[in-house]
Amino acid sequence: MEYLSLFVKSIFVDNMIFAYFLGMCSYLAVSKNVKTANGLGMAVIFVLVCTLPLNYLLNKYILTPGENCIFGPNVDLSFLSFILFIAVIAAFTQLVEMIVEKFLPALYSSLGIFLPLIAVNCAILGGSLFMQQKDFANVGESAVYALGSGLGWYLAIVALAAIREKLSYSNVPAPLKGIGITFITVGLMGIAFMAFMGISL
Amino acid sequence: MNTNSNTYTVVYSAIIVIVVAAILAFAAMSLNDRQVANMKAETIGQILTAAKIPSGESNAEIIATYKDQIAEAYTVDLKGAKVNELPAEDATIYTTSDLKAQNYNIADGVSAELPVYVFKNGTKVVPIYGAGLWGPVWGYVAITPDGKIAGATFDHASETPGLGGKIKDDPSFAAQFDGKAFDFSDAAPFAIVKGGAPAGKANAIDAITGATMTSKGLDVAINNWVKAYAPVLAGASSDCCKGEGKCCGCCAEGGCQEGNCCMDSEETNTEE
Amino acid sequence: MANLKETFLTPIFKGNPITVLVLGICSSLAVTVELKGAFVMALSVIAVTGLSSLVVSILRNTIPNRVRIIVQLVVVAMMVILVDQFLKAFAYGIDKQLSVYIGLIITNCIVMGRIEAFALGNKPLASLVDGLANGLGYGMILIIVAFFRELFGSGTLFGFPVLKAIGYTNNGLMILPPMALILLGCVIWVQRSIQKDLQEK
Repeated sequence: MEYLSLFVKSIFVDNMIFAYFLGMCSYLAVSKNVKTANGLGMAVIFVLVCTLPLNYLLNKYILTPGENCIFGPNVDLSFLSFILFIAVIAAFTQLVEMIVEKFLPALYSSLGIFLPLIAVNCAILGGSLFMQQKDFANVGESAVYALGSGLGWYLAIVALAAIREKLSYSNVPAPLKGIGITFITVGLMGIAFMAFMGISL
Repeated sequence: MNTNSNTYTVVYSAIIVIVVAAILAFAAMSLNDRQVANMKAETIGQILTAAKIPSGESNAEIIATYKDQIAEAYTVDLKGAKVNELPAEDATIYTTSDLKAQNYNIADGVSAELPVYVFKNGTKVVPIYGAGLWGPVWGYVAITPDGKIAGATFDHASETPGLGGKIKDDPSFAAQFDGKAFDFSDAAPFAIVKGGAPAGKANAIDAITGATMTSKGLDVAINNWVKAYAPVLAGASSDCCKGEGKCCGCCAEGGCQEGNCCMDSEETNTEE
Repeated sequence: MANLKETFLTPIFKGNPITVLVLGICSSLAVTVELKGAFVMALSVIAVTGLSSLVVSILRNTIPNRVRIIVQLVVVAMMVILVDQFLKAFAYGIDKQLSVYIGLIITNCIVMGRIEAFALGNKPLASLVDGLANGLGYGMILIIVAFFRELFGSGTLFGFPVLKAIGYTNNGLMILPPMALILLGCVIWVQRSIQKDLQEK
């Protein structure tokens, strides 16, 4: 039950895009059509689910001082957390890119081009930083949180891409065309998502 | 030089990692004392604000005021018995991360070490800690010797500024606590009521408009912690049994040091 | 010198990283609820963009191409950790308010974007100026958005009550995340109405 509530909450209530604006750059750049949005969304879910539990373990056993720390209870390495998290993410995306390119060329052609973009996607690093702040009890919770946030991001980008496809037929004032109206659309979608905010699970 | 050879890449990466780690370790170590002092002064400042003791802005002034005004500080277990002294000379306190650990202990209900700060004017300050909408919320409540709430301060890690953040930023929210009291005969000693507290109710205040989840979280935090402190706040641990037979949960579990009062209070409990 | 001046002025209006290049929206809109937070965030980003551009530019001829991205990330992460540590030591209250968003400067696309596009190919001084100017252009938008959100959302500016005197009722919607996006859309609208050449077809 705990897991389910965390899962639903991280998709809808703590949505990476609408509540925290994370991963906005690629969100806006790659949401022109549903097909590419789909690919990037999948890649984000995948990388989040793989790196977040990894960073959770790093955080618990190496960075935070306390009885779990492998260097002894008094070694506080938490100042290294940013650099370690981003290194894990960058190394992981690089690794995945190479593996996918070699063994799954079909998947690579649909997903691979987005992988380098993901290393600097704030949603991934943000997920790890929120994990650190939220202080999960075990790896399972962090994995569920990763899956939920990834799905939330996926949902948001596919929805926006669908809206933008339709929007290209409408008559928008010239200065607002393109990115301007996209911002306003995302804002309105965010207001719609706020309906989920009061839900207690 | 060939910057693309394998050896070069590996050596280069190694050097970068070592240099960066050295710079960061140096910065972290040289700034650590200041950071810890900042955190501590902030917490002490909140304790003093809750107790309505005016203190200065700077860290040194805050700590000096605390040392000057504190009568005793100690930790208690869930039965209200004293566990440890928190020496006033070096202004030892429980930091927010210590409170987090105790919050788990309270939830487990087995053992906990909860800090109590008693000031020279008799005011006792106790912390509360819990989950808000986005992250943890915590704070301090000061109780006068006659059981009234003297004041309260709250803080949060990541509530929405302007909505849930008002528990910290809007002085009129915390001011509502002044003069209220906890009612330990109630299932919930205190209530933060959405849509306005009923007039004349001594243990309820208004929730923040638009911040339902934060208000609820704070309500739960206050009740959990105040219940854990019941033996201390409803009366000192030794005379909670001597009182009007109103046992606060400590006696039944054999927490009382003196005499046979536990028997009496068990009877009172069964009668009720 | 004329060149440096141009390097400095372009990112502030004509090539503004947020409204024109659409970079770096991720990590920062959430700190635009109050002017104070936006102000410190702007200063932090200026420091990080300037210094990391400078460092990468100094190292530019020595960086092995294959690990380029990771080296850049490490440099940026180091700067961000330094800023974070300094804020914790000297402006503790503000650091707490910015919470994870300080860490997210690492993945702020402006920093990486400017390093890739400018610092890797230019001399240290020019890179420093470019980094600072981009941070400044970014900070300016942040402060504009924060100004309106705080003024209409809380009726205050830098925490001082401004609108209360004329009987203004705070608009709670301004404080909520979606309004930041809608306001940003409006800023872009205004800018593109003035600079017609930026309009998208």
